[in-house]
Amino acid sequence: MQLPWRAAPRAALSSPLTLLVSIATTLLLGFVVAAAVLHSSSAGSAALAYQQDRMCPHTVHPSLVGKEDLPLSSAVSMSSKSPLSAVYTRIGRPDFNGLATYGRFGYRPEALAHLTVLQGGGTGLWVPQTIATAAHVRVGDRLTGSPLVVSAIYADLAHPVSGWWCSESQTVVPNPLGGDGASTSVIWVSQVSDLALLPSAFSSRASVSLRFPVEPPSTLAEAEALRDKGNALLTSLRLPLTRVDGLSSAIAAARTSERNVSSALLPLVIISVLVGLAGVGTVTVQWAQRRHSELRLLWVRGASPLSLGLRGVLELGLPLVAGGLLGLLAARLLLPLYGPGVVLASGTLWVALGFVLAVVLASLLVTVLVAGWRVHRTFQRRARSWRPALVPWELVVGLLAVLAWVRLSHNGLGPALKSGDLPRIDVAALTFPLLVVLAAALLGVRLLRWSLVWSHRVRWWKVPAAQLALRRLAAAAGPVTGVLLVGVLAVGTIAVGSSVAGAQQSALDSKSGVFVGANSTVQVSQDIALGRVALPSSLQGNTTLVGLSTGALIVDPATFTDAAVVDDASSVRSLLSGLHRTGEIAPALRIGRAADKEIQIAGLPLLKPVAALPSFPKLGTRGYVLSRESVPAAEQVGSWHLWSSLPLSSLTSSLQAAGISYTNVADRARVLDGLPFLTVEWTFGFVAAIGFVLAVVAAVALLLAIEVRRRQNAVSGALSTRMGMRPSVLWSSHLLEVGTLASLALAIGAVASFVSTGFAVPRLDPAPWLNPAPVLPNLVPLLGSMVLCGVLVVVVAAWLALRGVRTARMGELLR
Amino acid sequence: MIRACGVGVNYGPVRAVTDMSLTIAPGLTVLSGPSGSGKSTLLRVLSLVERPSEGEVFIRDVATSALSWAELRSLRRKEIAVVFQNPADNLITHLTVAENLHAAGAPDLALLDQLGLDGSATWRIGALSGGQQQRLAFGCALARGASVVVADEPTSQLDVRSADLVLETLASLPVPALVASHDPRLVSLADLCIPLAAS
Repeated sequence: MQLPWRAAPRAALSSPLTLLVSIATTLLLGFVVAAAVLHSSSAGSAALAYQQDRMCPHTVHPSLVGKEDLPLSSAVSMSSKSPLSAVYTRIGRPDFNGLATYGRFGYRPEALAHLTVLQGGGTGLWVPQTIATAAHVRVGDRLTGSPLVVSAIYADLAHPVSGWWCSESQTVVPNPLGGDGASTSVIWVSQVSDLALLPSAFSSRASVSLRFPVEPPSTLAEAEALRDKGNALLTSLRLPLTRVDGLSSAIAAARTSERNVSSALLPLVIISVLVGLAGVGTVTVQWAQRRHSELRLLWVRGASPLSLGLRGVLELGLPLVAGGLLGLLAARLLLPLYGPGVVLASGTLWVALGFVLAVVLASLLVTVLVAGWRVHRTFQRRARSWRPALVPWELVVGLLAVLAWVRLSHNGLGPALKSGDLPRIDVAALTFPLLVVLAAALLGVRLLRWSLVWSHRVRWWKVPAAQLALRRLAAAAGPVTGVLLVGVLAVGTIAVGSSVAGAQQSALDSKSGVFVGANSTVQVSQDIALGRVALPSSLQGNTTLVGLSTGALIVDPATFTDAAVVDDASSVRSLLSGLHRTGEIAPALRIGRAADKEIQIAGLPLLKPVAALPSFPKLGTRGYVLSRESVPAAEQVGSWHLWSSLPLSSLTSSLQAAGISYTNVADRARVLDGLPFLTVEWTFGFVAAIGFVLAVVAAVALLLAIEVRRRQNAVSGALSTRMGMRPSVLWSSHLLEVGTLASLALAIGAVASFVSTGFAVPRLDPAPWLNPAPVLPNLVPLLGSMVLCGVLVVVVAAWLALRGVRTARMGELLR
Repeated sequence: MIRACGVGVNYGPVRAVTDMSLTIAPGLTVLSGPSGSGKSTLLRVLSLVERPSEGEVFIRDVATSALSWAELRSLRRKEIAVVFQNPADNLITHLTVAENLHAAGAPDLALLDQLGLDGSATWRIGALSGGQQQRLAFGCALARGASVVVADEPTSQLDVRSADLVLETLASLPVPALVASHDPRLVSLADLCIPLAAS
């Protein structure tokens, strides 16, 4: 290799700015590619974690259950095959004092340690309080027909149970509103051998569950290994029990979520990589301009364009490689900020490294080709009059946005989304808002360019700061429009990503609220509606009683809005307060698509719609709402529920403290499977992350553009101040110049993104069968933070420009 | 060595060179004429940097119009050394004086003495004056072992003293030289002067 090529890496040091720009270009490129890989992988792990969080801890590992069809001795024998098994007898009528009540016996290792003792303790029978009360059982009583003696009375388990009991909750938590003998609390024996001492009436129709507690897997690969190992273990046991494998469906959902996020990111990443490679090409063109003399000299001496392309890669290659690796490092370090989770599958970093190396190689190839092409075009062939600026790119992009909108408005998130499906984010859904932002950015750039050309006629010398700012903008039309383009894209992309992601969060919350009706609900007996049982004082002002009959909701107008999830509480309260029954007909609110006519519902008086609402908690978009005072017989209502604005645990603990029985609990925070929403949220979260990258590019480009013309700024500024211009005017002019640019970027980006997402968000609904559709979240905080960042960049840029003026020397002025 | 037959160069409607035929003889040949007369254009065509719109350029009797760019580069590499108007354009500025000579193919630094640059081997190019840079550029041209040296206005950006030193260098070149210049001192040194008129 000849000396000019050998010395090329050293030559890179002669231009720190080019070095910096080269590193920054592939840093961003490497970041985007690596972040996409890490984001997808962490989406899979996060989806798995979410699914596991919704599972009982002891059902993560596949388990075996047998329900009321085994001889007790067989169940006991089978239970020895797992580290955490449970054996339950059938429900019978155990007799302690000649006063039998419904009950079942059970054994689970360490169960006694997970119960709340009310009386006694030690080894023996542990009787639940409900049975002890009903059958007057006391510590020391002996079970009739058995040598076993009651050693403790414990507090009945109730929903929501702790994680340790979760897998057994169907058996160990009774339904107090169910019929006699349908369910019951468990009388626990302290050792499994005690089950053999029970009366013979309990020796058949036993149940067993074999659990295998494990540490929850953190990655999909670990989960799949656990599932396979667990299923192999269960097969090897050869027991005639039913296999329960919740992990497989969790893995399938997480895999689908990961795949959907990856496939949604792919077009975005490809576009980003192409833009990044175009950036590398631009850096190479600038390098070729800077090295024009040397390239011409070497070409005249006989070097081919290709060899001069290699000369370029030898100079820029090291920074490009370093930038790519730094991008990978940045993507790994910043994962907690942009990723759905921080847990990565093993080998993910190697995959990311592979992709980063691939784009770095592509960057090197682009450098060779662009440098070679530039040499060929400059020295071997006259330039053609190709003017990409004449192509109306904004119209082309606008047309693409219209096509994306047509597809989005027909398809939403994708064809035939059904309940339980995870959304596959259609490319139109992803690109429509971004295309609108891009079209607005290109249009803004076009208008700005025309305005800057026209601005030469402007005479604003009465406001020197404005005139100076305008002249400086017009003199640097190229960098100015470039920064505006990237700035608008950055603001728009951040706004689109954050808005859609935020809309998914609020949609999940709203839909859960409408589905449940309140933050938490429990079914209670009609005694409360009949006034036989009073609610505890801790539930006053936050809880309401609601009756549910087919297609109708019976509410208490005075307290309903204290607890229910409604958008406009005052108007709902006003409508409900007008539902006074007069005669045989009960006035009702008609909800959504329900028929607007008098209607008879079983157990309720004749309903007559007097007002209408488009949707209502629990009813969704069809049904009727009537006042509790309109219902003459509470017994005729299907079921009664307490709706509360309190968390479920607070509601149930208040009820337990008051001794009020309840069942069928519902928790707004857990009632819906949020994974479909999270899948969309994670996808658009990555869009926001790319927006942040663009914002960094825009800010750095602005600061670099100012630093590049430092001498020019210094000379003109220093001359102006020496001719009598006040420093404050100069400061104002720089603030105006950069501030105008930042304001334009912010305004165009924000308007375009908010308008486009305003149209797109309602159609990005992972659960369209549930009301309400997603709506734009409150954008003020996002807009405020962007304005704040913009102001910061403007002040720093203006300071940078003025620093040159302050430090300018006369020698520099005269040179 | 270099022969042009009916060479013309057009840039769109502008005819920069029209029907030019000449032969470069041994010694110093100067193309002179006012600005816009086509000196530099003709020089580029004769040094195979640019293709003519019409006519033929022969290098050692090889017709060049049918040659590919690669063949032209190969021919230029072997036969022609070009010295540009701006001294710095003829050198690789991030290399030292010695490295520039080595890059041009000089086996050693003996040329530095002949160029009056002894003791400057380790200097950066920026440390040399314009005249020293231009003399080093001719040194590099010689170091390449080319059959002919082609120079475009080599003294136009130099002060009188530096220009004199470059003229001395030009006059002592051991190979034929073709120079475009309107410097009367250079014209007076020429073995052959080809005046071009403004078209």
